Amino acid sequence: FVTQRSGISKRYSESYVTKPLHIFSGYRPCGPFCGGCTAFISAGQNILIEGEDEDQPYVAKVLKLMGDESGQQKKALVRWFIRASEVPLSKRKLLGRDPHPQEIFYYKGRSCDDEVDAESIIRPVQVLHLDAAAPFPESCDEDTLFVKMSWDSKTFKAVTSDQVDSGSADSAPSHLKPSLPPSPPCSPPAAAPATQGPSCRVLPTPDPAVMRKASCRETWSSRSAMSAGKAGRMEAELLIIRLESIRNRLKPNSTLSPQATPSTPRTPHRATPSIPCRSLPARRPANILEEARIRLHVSAVPESLPCREAEFQDIYNFVESKIIDGTGGCMYISGVPGTGKTATVHEVMRCLQHAADVDEIPPFTFVEINGMKMTDPHQSYVQILQKLTGQKATPDHAAALLDKKFSSPTPRRETTVLLVDELDLLWTRKQNVMYNLFDWPTRRQARLVVLTIANTMDLPERIMINRVASRLGLTRMSFQPYTFKQLQQIITSRLDKLKALDQDALQLVSRKVAALSGDARRCLDICRRATEICEHAAADPSAPGLVGMSHVMEALNEMFSSAYTTAIRSASVQEQLFLRAVIAEFRRLGLEEATFQQVFVQHQALCRVEGLQPVSVSEGLSVCQRLGACRLLLLEPSRLGILQRVRLNVSQDDVLYALKAD
Amino acid sequence: MSKRKVKDAHLPVGECITQLQKILRERLCNQQLPEKPEGVGAQHKHLLELLRRTAVHGESNSVLIVGPRGAGKTMLLKSVLRELLEEKEVQKNLLQVQLNGLLQTDDRIALKEITRQLHLENVVGDKVFGSFAENLAFLLEALKKGDRSSSRPVLFVLDEFDLFAHHKNQTLLYNLFDVSQSAQAPIAVVGLTCRLDVLELLEKRYIERVQTQLSLPQDFPDEKFAKDWNESVKALCEDKSVEEVLLRHFNCSRDFRSLHMFLMLCLSRVTVAKPVVKAADVLEAGRLCFADAKADMLHGLSILELCLIIAMKHLNDVYEGEPFNLQMVHNEFKKFLQRKSNSMYNFEQPVVLKAFEHLQQLELIRPVDGSSAKTQREYQLMRLMLDNSQIMEALQKYPQCPTDVKQWAMSAFG
Repeated sequence: FVTQRSGISKRYSESYVTKPLHIFSGYRPCGPFCGGCTAFISAGQNILIEGEDEDQPYVAKVLKLMGDESGQQKKALVRWFIRASEVPLSKRKLLGRDPHPQEIFYYKGRSCDDEVDAESIIRPVQVLHLDAAAPFPESCDEDTLFVKMSWDSKTFKAVTSDQVDSGSADSAPSHLKPSLPPSPPCSPPAAAPATQGPSCRVLPTPDPAVMRKASCRETWSSRSAMSAGKAGRMEAELLIIRLESIRNRLKPNSTLSPQATPSTPRTPHRATPSIPCRSLPARRPANILEEARIRLHVSAVPESLPCREAEFQDIYNFVESKIIDGTGGCMYISGVPGTGKTATVHEVMRCLQHAADVDEIPPFTFVEINGMKMTDPHQSYVQILQKLTGQKATPDHAAALLDKKFSSPTPRRETTVLLVDELDLLWTRKQNVMYNLFDWPTRRQARLVVLTIANTMDLPERIMINRVASRLGLTRMSFQPYTFKQLQQIITSRLDKLKALDQDALQLVSRKVAALSGDARRCLDICRRATEICEHAAADPSAPGLVGMSHVMEALNEMFSSAYTTAIRSASVQEQLFLRAVIAEFRRLGLEEATFQQVFVQHQALCRVEGLQPVSVSEGLSVCQRLGACRLLLLEPSRLGILQRVRLNVSQDDVLYALKAD
Repeated sequence: MSKRKVKDAHLPVGECITQLQKILRERLCNQQLPEKPEGVGAQHKHLLELLRRTAVHGESNSVLIVGPRGAGKTMLLKSVLRELLEEKEVQKNLLQVQLNGLLQTDDRIALKEITRQLHLENVVGDKVFGSFAENLAFLLEALKKGDRSSSRPVLFVLDEFDLFAHHKNQTLLYNLFDVSQSAQAPIAVVGLTCRLDVLELLEKRYIERVQTQLSLPQDFPDEKFAKDWNESVKALCEDKSVEEVLLRHFNCSRDFRSLHMFLMLCLSRVTVAKPVVKAADVLEAGRLCFADAKADMLHGLSILELCLIIAMKHLNDVYEGEPFNLQMVHNEFKKFLQRKSNSMYNFEQPVVLKAFEHLQQLELIRPVDGSSAKTQREYQLMRLMLDNSQIMEALQKYPQCPTDVKQWAMSAFG
């Protein structure tokens, strides 16, 4: 058992051999702080296994070592421990305290691959069992990890040392002396002298020739060593593995390096984002209309989603099958705004989460990002990583970490369901963000299900290049706009027997909205506005009546009436005259554009007809500019003076209608 | 603050006048809120109810106030807020964030400003730290943590709302409206704009997130404002000519601010010698207001320059507004001189060129777009920036204008 201690400029190297055949002396000059070592491990030892995160390798106990028939692959049967960082972010608070950095949990969950390749083993490690109440020892030996509790993917439980140690008898003494350097495990006699901790000999500095030779063989791995070994030692209880250097201790830690500039205050770390609490509680709804208004607000979360059962079932089946199979896939969901796309997906997730909680399906993680809620498409990596692991990173680094996470084989992986809302905003020129999002699910180990939402049905064909669109696949779903019956049903289910809306009025709203857009949000807003109007109109504020036809009509008029008409009607006399002059000039020219000078001539003529004093050019210009500011007219820059061209921003008929009704 | 009251105190007249001017100026310039908004009663009530529901019940709302400039949008909002904040329950709860599209020119600045005004935890002193992405995530997280009944409602006032719609991706607007439509911290978004087509600026996905509750403050007639004045002003109002001027002004623009400007002009004519505003003052102020800037500029031109302008006018008449160059203008001018056969205006070519350049500097003429700078100055194509009526008006008032020039200008054919 060899570890690196101190030795900044020196290199340690040990070669431990079971048979003379396999003497190996490896110098791996990979920087001033690391060296290469070989060591044996045996069944019953605890080991570190390469994982996604270099700083946090997996921990496991070796139960058995074996090789496959051909002798090419050495495998180890292991019993897993889990680190706190591997527990899903949402579940960590179940622990009830902050985990110790060196704390691990005995893993009792399922869906575990117990066989690992010998090549992925990094080095042995010391695992100590502590009682649940016992404090963590002061000693901060990197290679000592502590186990107190077990984790079965739902709860933390205390474990006994028997459970942890089951299958190994040799590591028992170390429990008693946690602060001592780890004692060597009992190994076959040949290895015994070499595994003595203190026997780490400082070798003389190797001569350059050896160094060069070693650097050429940098890619040496345990497999090449073992393949020479042949069948004789296939069942050998020892494996030669390469000891990875401990880089994390020596790596400059960027996050902690103090920026020793007291003059500039830094962002308080872990500032908790929150809006202050109200000093007085919100008032409860006093009457039936206020209650109705709360239920009709778009933000109210309905118990169930009516009228989207088919879509719900499709998405549910899709995601569920992927979770059960442990595979990945993409789905593209389209539909015009306000048709319940996001709400349906959320509902599916809620149901699946419930199923996972009662053990019907394997547990999974749900992550949601929204293209509009980020400043830059590449921020999506940062957000995904942060929601998956809680880490913070720059976009590039986060992309690398995620890529590694989804491409490296890991034995225990829960399916990740990723919802990407407003997909079209993730478009970049190279489309690398979209490419990655759709490429990860296709990897064998990723177990990633990506659900994407956007408005347009043909988005994949329109904006995606072929290699991205093909990865997105053909699983498409389109949400049709609601029909008036569906809208009616939605409102009825929201109100839930609350007698606030007249049936006829309800039908009017839903028919009107369905004819225009089928947007449920719009429909709810109109109903809500109608309740307000009803409340104002009611003579007795404490007992307002039912929302009737007239209230709904008023609300509809407010919503759908054109602001232009109102604006033209309330414009001043000269402004109205100017608009008329514009139309007259357009008719004369037969064009939809005229210069101010041309319109002004008409304007003055009209003034005379109306018996008003003709305005001067400056006044005329200011009238024109005001209309331009309202965007009733479209104007060229004002520095052109009387030569600027004028166009109408409304249709001529609208203007005439508004002026006539006056 | 009637003038008579001031006089009753037996102060020297000069001091009275100073005080009067001070008070009235304050009223006209500082835009003090009137006690009761006039002419916008329905909108006032509507907006007040809406904001009160946010403050008291924690209901999220969004409203867009659209109206022409000077129609009293800000005044309406301010008076609603003043009334709202008189309630204790509201005062304790409501958080306000004021943004202006002219100040917060992009989402990055706007986000920092919001965080600063909300005093969130990543604010140290007066500065907001962290990158744009971090700020956005932080703010969204903060708003997401709140819920309808427990967190304090936030009022977002977005002045010059249309400018926010030009921000990249409209990230800020989307997120604000999204928060107002989901079960997060209660917010009320109030947008103020004068652009009627603001909804068309918003992308489709935002439109349905804005609950279209438009309210158009109508303007109220200016005679009402006059009631604030003392009796002499009342008498003034009855004066026919004054009414005419005011009506004309009202016809022209129903703008509150320009009326204030107009009244300021009247007010500044009040002196010790003339302690009351007379009808003549109002007329004079009206004349100043309606004066045509370009025509006034013509009064300062030399005879030669005026002649050139007249020549241009004739060219415009003959060629129906086609552009001209110096050579054409000069020829036209020469034709006039030949007919008159007196050499009084016989100028050398360089002198004419100089005069021509002066006109260009005054922007009375401007080169046609796209005409290359390489062209010789004499042949560069120009357009006249004046209307015929302006030229004629200026000629009438031009001091000592030679009669033959006047006649030339009036004649139909050069």
